[in-house]
Amino acid sequence: MMTNKKGSTGLKKMSDLLGGFGRGIGKVVNALYDGGRKTIDMMIRNIIPFIAFIAFVIGLILYTGAGEAIAKGLAPLASNIGGLIILGLIVGFPVLSPVLGPGAVVAQVIGTLVGTLIIAGEIPPQMALPAFFAIDVQVGCDFIPVGLSLGEAKPKTVQVGVPAVLFSREITGVIAIIIAYFASFGLYS
Amino acid sequence: MNALANGASYFIGIFQEGGKVFVSLIGGILPTVIVLMTAVYALITLIGEEKVELWGRKASKNVITRYTIMPIIAMFFLTNPMAYTFGKFLPEKYKPAFYDSAVSFCHPITGLFPHANPGELFVYLGIATGLEKIGLPIGGLAIRYLLVGIVVIFIRGIVTEKITAFLTPRILGDGVLLDSLDEEGGEK
Repeated sequence: MMTNKKGSTGLKKMSDLLGGFGRGIGKVVNALYDGGRKTIDMMIRNIIPFIAFIAFVIGLILYTGAGEAIAKGLAPLASNIGGLIILGLIVGFPVLSPVLGPGAVVAQVIGTLVGTLIIAGEIPPQMALPAFFAIDVQVGCDFIPVGLSLGEAKPKTVQVGVPAVLFSREITGVIAIIIAYFASFGLYS
Repeated sequence: MNALANGASYFIGIFQEGGKVFVSLIGGILPTVIVLMTAVYALITLIGEEKVELWGRKASKNVITRYTIMPIIAMFFLTNPMAYTFGKFLPEKYKPAFYDSAVSFCHPITGLFPHANPGELFVYLGIATGLEKIGLPIGGLAIRYLLVGIVVIFIRGIVTEKITAFLTPRILGDGVLLDSLDEEGGEK
């Protein structure tokens, strides 16, 4: 009788352990599977359409030779720190920045152009890191009222917050480019 | 007839060139991004929303974590644009600065964690693929982009916080502080 009882509690413990283990594995597998589904969904709805867009733009630029004209304009700006600061000041200008912001399309197109100019040897690789910040001073400037509302900000906060962020960018944009410039030392040179 | 044929081949050439770019982008970077995003999404599910909210609340308490840890957690776990909802943990006077800080992190994070903002990957990838094509490693670049990004969002948070404090009485009238809005409640 005694040994029988002992055996059954042992068995119970083991089955609990196995059950817990099984549930744990199931949870992880499910999370991964859901992650995969979410990723593929994101690929099809956001990433691949943008790749199609950018492929057309870049293809057009490369094929028609417009690339050379753009290179002439962009290369001097993006190949030295002074030019990058000027670029940053332009895209971060309080009136322009909300217009250039949406979907980060402008930053992404300029980024891809800078990439093609790096391949062409027109822009030195060590400019890549400061360029990230120079082409992106306007990030989110189109979205300030919505972003603040998502954080449950009151209308008066939005009224002050919009100009505060826009003005802040002209200062912090330049600081960011300079920090990135010094942080890029030793990366590709 | 010849001119027509030339025109046609020129026309189609544009799209052939575009197609080459398309294939190189899809084949080069997407596979890694897909697998990485899957793993990170799974991790976020396993950690759970409650813990993330608790971390966000804790990070909102002091000025340093408010513009570093808090936006990082928000962007990593909630991703763009839901990250900005973390502003609700803060008093009104810090909300513009937090938004500025968080939104400025939505591209530096994509070098290592593309799941955080998959619709805007090419700010990073546009330049990174260029470097990869000429045979340069991009791992170091991604890490530096992230680290400099953290420094920049901290500075941006502080500066915007100061500018908000400076502008408040000038826009809303003398003596008005955003602090007073915190107690009003209700009104939105």
